[in-house]
Amino acid sequence: MTETIWLIAAVTAALLSMSWLALAYESHWQQVFPESGTLPNRRRLKLSAWFFLLLSAAFCLNADHPSMAVLVWVMLLAVAAFSVAMILSHRPAILKIICLPLFAAKA
Amino acid sequence: MFNSLRMSMGWVHTWMGLVLGFVLMICFFFGALSVFDREIDRWAIPDTRFEPQPMPSFDEVLKPVYEQLRPDPVDMAATERRVVGSLPDPETLELESLFAYTTHRDPVLLIGGEFAIPNQPIDPTDDHQHVHGRATVNPATGELLNDDALKIGSDWFYPMHFSLNFNWMMLGYWIVGLAALVMLAGLVSGVIIHRKIFREFFTFRPWKNLFRSSLDLHNMTGVVALPFHFFFAFTALVIFASNIYLPVTHTTLKPLHEHHEKLEAARTGLPHEPAGVPATLASVDAMVAEAKRRWAQRDMAGEVGFLSINHLGDENGYVSIYRAGSDRVALVGEGIHFKASTGEVIREEPPRSAVSSIDEFLTGLHLQHFEHWMLRWLYVFGGLLGAVCIATGFVLFVEKRKARHAKTGSQGSRIVDALAVTTVTGMVLAAVGMLVANRLLPADLPGKGQWEQIAFWSVWVLAFLHAAWRSSPVAKARHNPAWREQSLLLGLLSLSAVGLNWITTGDHLIKTVFTDTYWAVAGVDLSLIATALIAFFAAARLRSPVSEQKADNALSRNKQVNAYD
Repeated sequence: MTETIWLIAAVTAALLSMSWLALAYESHWQQVFPESGTLPNRRRLKLSAWFFLLLSAAFCLNADHPSMAVLVWVMLLAVAAFSVAMILSHRPAILKIICLPLFAAKA
Repeated sequence: MFNSLRMSMGWVHTWMGLVLGFVLMICFFFGALSVFDREIDRWAIPDTRFEPQPMPSFDEVLKPVYEQLRPDPVDMAATERRVVGSLPDPETLELESLFAYTTHRDPVLLIGGEFAIPNQPIDPTDDHQHVHGRATVNPATGELLNDDALKIGSDWFYPMHFSLNFNWMMLGYWIVGLAALVMLAGLVSGVIIHRKIFREFFTFRPWKNLFRSSLDLHNMTGVVALPFHFFFAFTALVIFASNIYLPVTHTTLKPLHEHHEKLEAARTGLPHEPAGVPATLASVDAMVAEAKRRWAQRDMAGEVGFLSINHLGDENGYVSIYRAGSDRVALVGEGIHFKASTGEVIREEPPRSAVSSIDEFLTGLHLQHFEHWMLRWLYVFGGLLGAVCIATGFVLFVEKRKARHAKTGSQGSRIVDALAVTTVTGMVLAAVGMLVANRLLPADLPGKGQWEQIAFWSVWVLAFLHAAWRSSPVAKARHNPAWREQSLLLGLLSLSAVGLNWITTGDHLIKTVFTDTYWAVAGVDLSLIATALIAFFAAARLRSPVSEQKADNALSRNKQVNAYD
């Protein structure tokens, strides 16, 4: 059961990380916040993204034997990146919600 | 010939990708299905729809089963051609070694053995002097299961992804090996020609023209799963390197290999040859209990994955017991060997060396014996991303050239498009068609597995003929309607497979998900429904015929896009 919780945490962290990494690009930021003008704080987005990327790795390591965790993490990043790309191309507004707590207020 | 590295890499990427892309499609798609091969087996052989079980008692359940094991008639015939004189009656041949193998996903147990033969080989250097036998057992009852039923998952889809089920002179393995090598080259050349890897990491613009949106998807599916693509192509080569692609130990270095085998036998105490003195077999269950106790002592408590007995009935006989690697990225390991006649431990294998651990990790990550359902699904996703990457590569090839070919009257894009339809929708049709045939053919039909294979190839050939027959619009820079028609058919066929499973076995989704949960069958049914939904969605999106204007756009775009020429 605790394994499942760690894995859910890893998925969430990976998704958040990839979302912020995408939003750190001007073109994707414009897709999500067309009204907000330019990207407010690219550095903060990138740092948070990298931090959550490492956090998702840590969660994977908590869930499984290290040899398995590394595979789960690498594959999770692929799924998260693909999901973010699909959200951006079909429902970019969803990413607004993901960003609200940290960045949208400042946008 | 080329003005820059990018252009030369573009040439390699385009042409090698095109030629071997058709093979790679097969590897990726059937590789993705292989992740759930055992579950597909359960769907295809309803008699085996029960829960996975650990290795049963050898003394009580398995020992009598091996007495029923007989030499495989196909291997009998093959061996007869290699030896002097005719082989004795198969009923009189005796087992000289045996094995039993199971994983955490197997309700059934695979057993087998080697039967000794008295004949001399025609070629004196041929040391393969035995006939194999193989059977599938219900471990709960010890009853032998009908081996005529084809395990569609593990004996058809799984070997399809590494041998194309084309075993003549092992050519299938070699073609797949070449494709894996080209795949590695394709990944490197792809990275070199793709200029904006990070900027376009998350970019997919379905509203742009077909060429641009396909290129987005091609780049994205290639890049986001780059580690997966790289490691699977690489480990595929590693797995077969020593016994198929570079078999030096059985060719150039054969004498050295044999000498090493004898030295190793002397070092480990596991006899290389039988003593010629008959001996009885001590309790194997006691040896299993001792092996489990030793694993637990090493903080690696586990189940038996593989059990074998060599030099059966001889004083030099020994029993080898290996732990199943369900909880880590490993196959079977931590072997403990016992003297068969007394049950005393001869050797406990030491922890692996660094090199051996790396090898185990690389092969283990590909062969995935681990018990981790999420990682299994992630692998399926990775495999499907690979398939999308290659399929969009075909679309790019055609979209880039079809307008020019329409002008010059070339049939190039038309042929590639027809082959692309065959290897994208046609391949999935063949796989689903095989499942439909499996449910339509009576369970007791002699040679049912053969008929299923015929159905598989027939559907695929028909898909090719249909794609070729409908491909003439491509020569006029339009779309091939076969894409849409085969998508529709795939949707219908997938739903029929689910319906037929319900009608013929009574296992509908409400039962397999809620009332009498059996995820192996529910998972296959749900995947078939997902396939149907995606196929219908694709067919709906492909409904609008390409207007003259779009065809004209393709013509003008062709002048602009020259990135890979």
